Amino acid sequence: MLIVSYKRPVSLVLLADILAFGLLFFYREPHDFYILGAGLLVIGLIAGTYLLIVKKGLGDEYLFLIVSMLTSIGFIMIYRLNRELGFKQIIWFFGGIGLFFASYFVYIRIKIWDKLMYVYAFASFGLFLITLVFGSTIKGSTNWIVIKGFSFQPSELIKILFIFTLACYFNHSDQIFLNALTLKLKQIKLKGRIALMVIVYMFMGFLLMQRDWGTALLFFIIYITMMYAFDSNMKFLLLNSLIAALGGVAGYFALYHIRVRVETWLNPWTDISGKGYQITQSLFAIGSGGFFGTGLGMGRPDFIPEVTTDFIFSAICEEMGIFGGVAVVLLYFILAYRGFKIVLNTGDRFKKAVALGITCMFGFQTFIIIGGVIKLIPLTGITLPFISYGGSSLTTSFIALGILQAISKLGDQDGGSIADEREQESH
Amino acid sequence: MEGVLRMKENKKVINILIVMSVLFLSLIVYITYFELFVKEDIIINSYNQRQRETEENTVRGRIFDKNGVVLADSTKTETGWKRTYPYGALYSHVIGYSSSIYGKSMLEASYNDYLLGVGKGDSIFSFGNMDESGMKHGDDLYLTIDHKLQKLAEQGLGDRNGAVVAMNPKTGEILALASKPAFDPNEDRLGANWQAMVESENHIFLPRATQGLYTPGSTFKTVISAGALENGLGDLVIEDNGTVVIDGKPFSNTGKKAYGEIGMKEALAVSSNVFFSQVGVKLGEDKLKELARKFGLEKDIPFDIPVSKSRFSYDHMEETDMAAVAIGQGKLMLTPLHMAMITSCIANNGVMMKPYLVSRIVSHDGKEVKATEPSVLYDVISPQTAGAIKLMMREVVESGTGKSAAIEGVNVAGKTGSAENELTAKQEDKNHTWFIAFAPVENPKIAVAVIMEYSGSTGGKLAAPVAREIIKAYLDKS
Repeated sequence: MLIVSYKRPVSLVLLADILAFGLLFFYREPHDFYILGAGLLVIGLIAGTYLLIVKKGLGDEYLFLIVSMLTSIGFIMIYRLNRELGFKQIIWFFGGIGLFFASYFVYIRIKIWDKLMYVYAFASFGLFLITLVFGSTIKGSTNWIVIKGFSFQPSELIKILFIFTLACYFNHSDQIFLNALTLKLKQIKLKGRIALMVIVYMFMGFLLMQRDWGTALLFFIIYITMMYAFDSNMKFLLLNSLIAALGGVAGYFALYHIRVRVETWLNPWTDISGKGYQITQSLFAIGSGGFFGTGLGMGRPDFIPEVTTDFIFSAICEEMGIFGGVAVVLLYFILAYRGFKIVLNTGDRFKKAVALGITCMFGFQTFIIIGGVIKLIPLTGITLPFISYGGSSLTTSFIALGILQAISKLGDQDGGSIADEREQESH
Repeated sequence: MEGVLRMKENKKVINILIVMSVLFLSLIVYITYFELFVKEDIIINSYNQRQRETEENTVRGRIFDKNGVVLADSTKTETGWKRTYPYGALYSHVIGYSSSIYGKSMLEASYNDYLLGVGKGDSIFSFGNMDESGMKHGDDLYLTIDHKLQKLAEQGLGDRNGAVVAMNPKTGEILALASKPAFDPNEDRLGANWQAMVESENHIFLPRATQGLYTPGSTFKTVISAGALENGLGDLVIEDNGTVVIDGKPFSNTGKKAYGEIGMKEALAVSSNVFFSQVGVKLGEDKLKELARKFGLEKDIPFDIPVSKSRFSYDHMEETDMAAVAIGQGKLMLTPLHMAMITSCIANNGVMMKPYLVSRIVSHDGKEVKATEPSVLYDVISPQTAGAIKLMMREVVESGTGKSAAIEGVNVAGKTGSAENELTAKQEDKNHTWFIAFAPVENPKIAVAVIMEYSGSTGGKLAAPVAREIIKAYLDKS
């Protein structure tokens, strides 16, 4: 009943999936019966997960719907580009759903998340160090760990640890000093900020060492955003922005990599076969699709480099059109909107900070990569959450989603909604 | 206290939401802007592999004459598909060439989208006309050209450089469009001769019918007659002594022949320079300029392949200029196509039709993609004026300079011309010869303009028989 009712948006997601997998089955001969089976499994899993969330009252019921639509678009596009990767992504999706529920229940069960700041920070630095020592360079970034042919990107997981680190600080800023007894409150506030800054810049330093510019930029934006929301010191915020600006300018002049990125952003047409190759191929694809797209399987997104990961949005635009691309942007927008709603409804500061961090992670990451491939901003290689191919990216995103889901459930229980606050104030 | 703090925080969270909304909106706005204003210039870049991809996966549409004769074909070879032109040089200045090395020209260039089957209008719902082998088929073009007339036109020019244009005066359909010299557009021949053709002093690549600019000579007297009739000079009679001096410059008839007292009809028949040079002065600068503009000089002619603009290059006109223009000399240059259009305009009661080469575009599975409807380009002169000039031009063929265009049993109207050029200035007998004609006078079905470069003869002797053969062949058949 719940599934077939036209009033439920889940039926739209399922209908889209039925049509999409049907199309994938029919459009190429010989017909691929595996994709039909995989499609049925995906549809069943989405329906089942949704039912579970609604029936058991596991918090916000839209988060998962939006994300399942995004991942569906991802499967369709990745399968169309590379059959093998398409199936792999579907397997990652199954794993992702498992991790989604796991992180949901684990997050709710454990109560001391807000007291483990140094655990998160040192775990992150440990992962960074392991990556630096044992890591392999794939596509110019040294941020992969390869164990027996199985590659993993620790920086994806570090994103969540980073958000938890920040959230701990904004909840109890004194925990940044392991022994805070000797400091007075004012000192704690001032020195705390500086200490946090050092920790954040260490995160970013490691990322820059790995040449993972996109993630470094994302971390900085998350840091600034959370500072803005939870620390009212605007001077410090300005100082950070100034440092970032100076760092950016210095990086431009000192680092060839950054200079190339800016120059190919401003004018990629002078060196189409060389430095401007990626972005120009991306623009050719987006332009060739037009408003309605060439149709699935009718375009040539295989001309785009890195098309299953960083540039998947260009492939979507080519075959599903600008309208398809805009629809994807709007899906991310409502995902971010649900996220912000959860942030507003959450009373507990730690949970609020985690929710804001995760929401910003999804939102800004989307902006950085889509803005990059359409040449609105300089291109930095980073995945499109839930759509790009990649086990690390997809599973980490589902872990983050599980946590956000848990907070949406807990937030309600805290009674921290805006309506309650108004009530409190009027008393 | 804590509630107030939380309120403040929530306000900031909403501000962050607003910033993020602006960022997402900017993505949508930019991508729409890109689609509307930027992409057109980008996707045609040669580094866009989709361009070549489309060509390699498409069997280029064929081109037929009006009766279904194949003029350009795509044939399968061991290595893929090849563009072939069964009539070699005959259509080099109409269809042009499509070469992977030298690019495209003429109709092959201007109708490239249709020939590749990516024509506008069907891009949204098209699934691409694919056949069993996965090849797409482009659309076929049906031209207004009559292959038989085109051959006659080419034969008529013989070894001379020049052009022949034949058109249906009532519709603007181009029936023949021959230019010489021409070249073989088949890829292997093109490659073998390219360098020599580029360096040739003969300007082999100049499509003379559409881009060759020639002084119209006496053929322009038809236009001047129209101007005279519309400005009340129809009854003018002038004493023709063989030469008249205007502002110190003598204007003479061919062989300084004196015709005595003559009116306009007789003057056109014998092509009197004495008569028309004085008509030019009487019309004056403003009327002459208006007349040229009305007939489409100094205006772009819309056509399926590139056309040069006919010239009337005067800012200020002296009396000698007016006299020179009135006998078709001076700073006055027209394309043979434009001359054929002027002839058609007179034949079609003063209405100039828009010329066209492609009558229908048909998809590989036989569906009509596009059809050209005849349309009026300019309303130039009144039917009365046109009717009077028709009769005068009839007189030219009946008893004047154009007798060799006469066909038994058909009323042919025409006008000869010989145009000065850089060689005639050296007193050499090397003028270009013109002949324009249409027939039958009472119900014109075909109009022809012929020019032969440096032929050193009057239009009547050389050019008129070419027009005659074309008219005869066309009327016999239809």
